[in-house]
Amino acid sequence: MSELSSNQQSQVELQFRIRRKRWLNVGAVYLILILISFLFMGPFLFGAISSLKDNPTEWPPTIQTAQLSPRNWLGAFNLARQAGSGGLFGQFKAGKMVQLKVTYRFPAGHEVVLPEVSIPVRVAGSGQAALDLTQKYAADYLEVSAVEEIKRWTEGGAIYAEYQIMISNPSHFNFDIVPLNLKVPYQVEFVQGTLTPNNIERLGMVQSWKNISSGLIPYIFHNYDRVFNENYSRSTGRSLFLSWVLNSFFISIMRVITTLILAAMAGYVLARLKFVGQKLFFVLILFSMMIPAQVTFISNYLVLRDGVFGLSKMFGVNSLLNTFSGLIIQGMVSGSAVFIMKQFFAGLPRSLEESACIDGASTYQTFFKIMLPLAKPALGALTILTFQGTWNDFFMPLVIITSPMDKFPLTVGLLSFRIMYGAAGMAWGPILAGAIISALPIIILFVVFQKYFVEGISFTGLKG
Amino acid sequence: MENKWRFLKEKSAPYLLLTPFVIWFLIFFGYAFIRVLFFSFTDYDLFATPRFVGLSNFQGLFREFLFARALKNSLTYAIIVTTFQTIGALILAVVLNYKIRGIKFFRAAYYMPSVTSSVVITLIFIWLFQRKGVINYLLTLFAQYRLLIWVFLIFFLISQTLLVLKEKWRQRPVSIFEPSYVVLSLLLAVVITFLLKTGGFISILTVQPLETIWLNTRETTPNWAGSLAFPRPLAAIMFLNIWTTIPTFMLLYLAGLQDIPLSLYQAAEVDGASTVQKFWYVTVPQLRHITFLVVTMGLISTLQMFDQVAIIGGQAPQESIITLAYYVYVTMFPRSAIAEVGMASAAALVLAVLTLIIVVIQQRVTGERRYKSE
Repeated sequence: MSELSSNQQSQVELQFRIRRKRWLNVGAVYLILILISFLFMGPFLFGAISSLKDNPTEWPPTIQTAQLSPRNWLGAFNLARQAGSGGLFGQFKAGKMVQLKVTYRFPAGHEVVLPEVSIPVRVAGSGQAALDLTQKYAADYLEVSAVEEIKRWTEGGAIYAEYQIMISNPSHFNFDIVPLNLKVPYQVEFVQGTLTPNNIERLGMVQSWKNISSGLIPYIFHNYDRVFNENYSRSTGRSLFLSWVLNSFFISIMRVITTLILAAMAGYVLARLKFVGQKLFFVLILFSMMIPAQVTFISNYLVLRDGVFGLSKMFGVNSLLNTFSGLIIQGMVSGSAVFIMKQFFAGLPRSLEESACIDGASTYQTFFKIMLPLAKPALGALTILTFQGTWNDFFMPLVIITSPMDKFPLTVGLLSFRIMYGAAGMAWGPILAGAIISALPIIILFVVFQKYFVEGISFTGLKG
Repeated sequence: MENKWRFLKEKSAPYLLLTPFVIWFLIFFGYAFIRVLFFSFTDYDLFATPRFVGLSNFQGLFREFLFARALKNSLTYAIIVTTFQTIGALILAVVLNYKIRGIKFFRAAYYMPSVTSSVVITLIFIWLFQRKGVINYLLTLFAQYRLLIWVFLIFFLISQTLLVLKEKWRQRPVSIFEPSYVVLSLLLAVVITFLLKTGGFISILTVQPLETIWLNTRETTPNWAGSLAFPRPLAAIMFLNIWTTIPTFMLLYLAGLQDIPLSLYQAAEVDGASTVQKFWYVTVPQLRHITFLVVTMGLISTLQMFDQVAIIGGQAPQESIITLAYYVYVTMFPRSAIAEVGMASAAALVLAVLTLIIVVIQQRVTGERRYKSE
């Protein structure tokens, strides 16, 4: 009897050990998976966080940024509310007054003095925006009405003092940008404030804010704000970056439409029709998928320059260079798109067409009314792949569209961003923000239509 | 009459449906390819009428320093990146082939670098590789903590060996990488390292922040390789490209892994094969044809590398990152000179021929296999 129970006991123990081991195994696998996902997602995530920073190349790099601290969110929200606007998007309205609190640490023996407050003139951006002489600057109208000490205490030998700064707008104008500078003597340390300053310069003596009444959203996403509002087209006066985004959408959608129509038609015929030289034709299509654009662009550039053998002159256009039509025509279909459609149609049973034929349908009717609706899954995959391919395409737009800048698609625009902001000691904030924005549509598309991406890869093998 | 018209319409229908694609294909691929072939024997400069110059463009190419560098860079790049991305993709696919909850999320997460554009990724990487960038920071951190890391690794290995030996001594079947022991050893090593650190036996080293210049430099890497070493900026691009293409090829491997019959693994288990042995003698040979596809696709796509070079542009010296594709582009559109379309075409042909060689080999081999299997 007792033998049995000890046997049972050891059974239970064995069960327990097996279960424990299985849990440990699963844990180990998850650990490895999480570590690797840091490797693959890390650069994006850290890039996204850093695109919020004032200085994305600070040393050491941290993930704690002023823009992600709730205290600053509250500060930015409240300051914008005091300035007379909603807290999310701010503006310094006429007749309003805001109150800013800052705390300084004076080392032992140092004389406690009020900080010097000034509202500097800061010209934002380049190009047309910077040359706008009619613009009114907050510096010329706003007043610093009071700087008062409200609290003082000692801690560890040093004196801490908290000040209250009142800034008012006695004019009749509203201001979008209200920068602020505070200056204290050497060795006096900035501890905290309603809003963390964007820059601390001159060995800690000057704390500067880019815009105290910006409101919550522009405060957090100030680099994104710069991306859209700092660069304006010289010819149309519209925001360059916004134009690039719209261009990319336009070109991608147009190319998706042309590719769907042409590839479905050609793919269907190639899947069903037998003709002389068919095999050679397939091999040629396969070659065209492998041969890089850097080989064929030499001729394609010239073809577009001459308006596709002068055909474009019928529409009153001499050259298709620097036009969206040129870019769309050059990429209106592709060998791989036709290949995908051909593979799909070849997999559909012939009996469908045979019964349609008996019912007296013409080839066109069979294709448009019966086969095309059946091809929805393939057309879906093709839509996603073409959109992604065109949105990410860099080389052909670089060749075909060189000027003016407001005709660039996003990829070429980002390159010009790199050059533009790279000139002035690399302002990485706007560059990273631009990169993140341009990655967003594709990432959203990927999250929603994941399975199409995977299908596309197995179809074509695709180039990196 | 009307019947005849309908008959004609019906007969011509397939051809009419095919026509738009064929016209596009003839103009933008067929004509383009023939024209590049034609230009490569002329001295065309975009404006004057082209003159036939024989083979002098090709002779000129092989005399030019920049082209030699481009060819060398392209080949080094293709070979190294393809090797690493193939190995990486295989390992990653094996890891992602575990059937546990949430694996779909991880597959999607790993695939992220492959869907975003090369421009975005290159910009983020240029930023990571800045002199005060994240890569240098991580290397500095490693230098600071290297003593701790070594201690940690040594104790981990000791503990793992002891645990495995204990099981072996009791004559139980156990693999060297038994996950539950790995977790146990990791925990033990963390505790020991922490105790040694708080006890003051080992400490974090103080080192100068590393300020390696990754992009704007003419230095080569690795140092010991002599004339085989490649430029450091190119190494940065290699790193970037391996990172972005591993997930793409991982998917191909994943599909292949799911096709391997389970019975093979079961048979191997009966024969007493370890995890490593199963990987080496079952998984790798079964994935042979996929590996072939991955290698050829990898070679083709790496030979065409252009975007990364163009975006890094002035951030690195041109001759250390120039590739064949970029050479064609800058010869076609030089900054301040007349376009040398002839030279550009000749270089483009070299690129095309290299690609075609790989494609032909690929077709031969896969075609043969198809023939055999039939």
